Amino acid sequence: MRRILSLASFTFRELIRSKMLFIWLISVIVLCGLAFLLSLLSYGDILSIFMDLGLVGMEVSGLMVLLLSLAVTYTTEMDQKAIFLHLSKPMTRGEYLLGRILGFYLVVALVVLGMGAVVSALVVFVGGGQVTPLFIDSVVFLLLEMFVLTVLGLTFQMIATSLVGVVLYTFFTIFLGHLIGQIQWLLEKQLPAGIKVVLKVIYYILPNLDIFNLKDRMYDPTLVLGSAQWQEVLAYAFSYSLLVFLIGWWNLEKREFM
Amino acid sequence: MQKDLYTQLVKLLPAMAVAMFLIQAYYATYLQVWLHPEPLGVTQTYRMDKRVSSVLRATAYLSGCKVLVGHAFWIKVLQYYGDATNSKDRYSKLYDYCSLASDLNPTFLAPYTLGAAALTFHLHRPDEAVRLLTKGINSNPRDVSLKLLMASIAYENSEQYDKVVPILESQILTGDAPYMMVNILANAYEKAGRYQDAVQLWQRILRQTDKDDVRIQAAHKLQALQEFMRAGKHPKP
Repeated sequence: MRRILSLASFTFRELIRSKMLFIWLISVIVLCGLAFLLSLLSYGDILSIFMDLGLVGMEVSGLMVLLLSLAVTYTTEMDQKAIFLHLSKPMTRGEYLLGRILGFYLVVALVVLGMGAVVSALVVFVGGGQVTPLFIDSVVFLLLEMFVLTVLGLTFQMIATSLVGVVLYTFFTIFLGHLIGQIQWLLEKQLPAGIKVVLKVIYYILPNLDIFNLKDRMYDPTLVLGSAQWQEVLAYAFSYSLLVFLIGWWNLEKREFM
Repeated sequence: MQKDLYTQLVKLLPAMAVAMFLIQAYYATYLQVWLHPEPLGVTQTYRMDKRVSSVLRATAYLSGCKVLVGHAFWIKVLQYYGDATNSKDRYSKLYDYCSLASDLNPTFLAPYTLGAAALTFHLHRPDEAVRLLTKGINSNPRDVSLKLLMASIAYENSEQYDKVVPILESQILTGDAPYMMVNILANAYEKAGRYQDAVQLWQRILRQTDKDDVRIQAAHKLQALQEFMRAGKHPKP
C-alpha cells in the first residue's frame, strides 16, 4: 500500500510540475466567462443557466487535463522509458498501474473540484443564489465519471503503442460512451439482426457515461436519486473500473519493454 | 512465497475480468431503466432544415452536453425571433426552433413560455402554441406557469378548448391553481356550452374564496348562469 501511495504522490507531483493546473486556470477563466456571457444573452433563469454551463465546464476541464496528462506521461514513461525506473524497484506491475491511476485521479479531481468551487462561489456570492443539493450530486457523479475515464485512459496507455493511439482511443471512448444511452433506444427500432448484434456488443463493452450524466437531468421531475440509485451507480463505476484495471494490469504483465 | 502468490493472482486476472464484465453488464442494463424511464423523445421538424436538427442532436448526444447545446441553440432562437427580416414569412420556423430547443433541454421553461406567447398573441398560430405547451407540460408536470399560459390561450381561442380544458381540470384538481386559472376554466366551460360544469365551478369558487371581489364576481356569474338556464338563452360572458 505504501508503495502505491508513494507512486501516486510521485505521479501527482509530476503532473503538477508539468503545469497541468494552468489548464484549470484557463478553463476557469474561459468557461466561466462563456457561461456568464451565455446566461446574459439568453432569456430565462440566469443562475440556473450559469450552473448548467458551469457543470459542463467542470467536465470539459477535467477531460482536457486527463487527455493532456495521458499525452505528457506517455512521452516520458513509454517513449523515454521512464517506466523502467519504476519497474526496476521492488514494485509489482499491478501496484505500478494502481499508483499511476490514483496520482492521475488526484489531479483530475483537483481540477473538477476547483472548478466546482469557483462556480459555487460565483453563484452564491455574485449571483446571490443557492447551490442546490442536486448540483453537488452532479459534481460527485462527474467525479465518478472521471475515475472511470482515468482508469480507462491509463489502461489504453498500457495497451497502445503510440501517443496518438492513447489520445484517440480515450477521446472516442468518451464520445461513444455518452452515446451508449441512445443505443437501447436504437435497439427497439426495426434494424437488421447483424447491426443489432454489433450495437449490443458496443453497449456492453463501452462505458455507459450517460449513467454519470446527472447534469442533463438536474431539473427532471421524474428523477429519483435515493440510496438505492447511489449504490447502483457506485457499483457500476467500481465494477467497470475494476474490469478495465484488470485488463490494463494483464496487458502490462504481458508487455515486454525493450 | 509472495512472488508465487502474485503469479497465481496474475493467472487469475482473465477470469476476474470476465466476472467483472458480467457484473458491469448487469448494472449497465439495470441502470438504463432508471436513466431513461421514458423512450427518447424526438419531435419531428416541419419547416426547418432536418440536417440542422440532426447535427444539433448528434452533437448534444455525442458530447453528453445536451443542456449546453440546448442553451446555445436557445440563443439562436432568440436571434431568429429578434430579426425583423424573418417577419416576411411570419417567423415560420419559430415552432420548430422552440421545439428543438425544448428537445435538447426539456426542463428549461423559456422555450415553451416565450414560444407559446409569441405563437399565440403575435403570430396567431394557437394550434402550434398548444402543441408546444402540451409538450412542456408533459415534461414539467408540476409547473403551474405553463398551465396558466395554456389557460390564457384557451380564453383567446375557443377552438382550442377540447385540448386545454382537461389540462386545466387536472391542475385545479391538485388544489394548486391560481384563481385566474379557475376563472378561465369556468368561462371556458360556459363558452363551450358546459353550463352545469360552469355553475359547479363558480359555486366552488364562492365557497372557497376569502376575497370579497372574487365572491361578488362569482355570485354575479352564478346568477346570470342560473337565469339563462331557466330562460334557455346564452348569458353574456
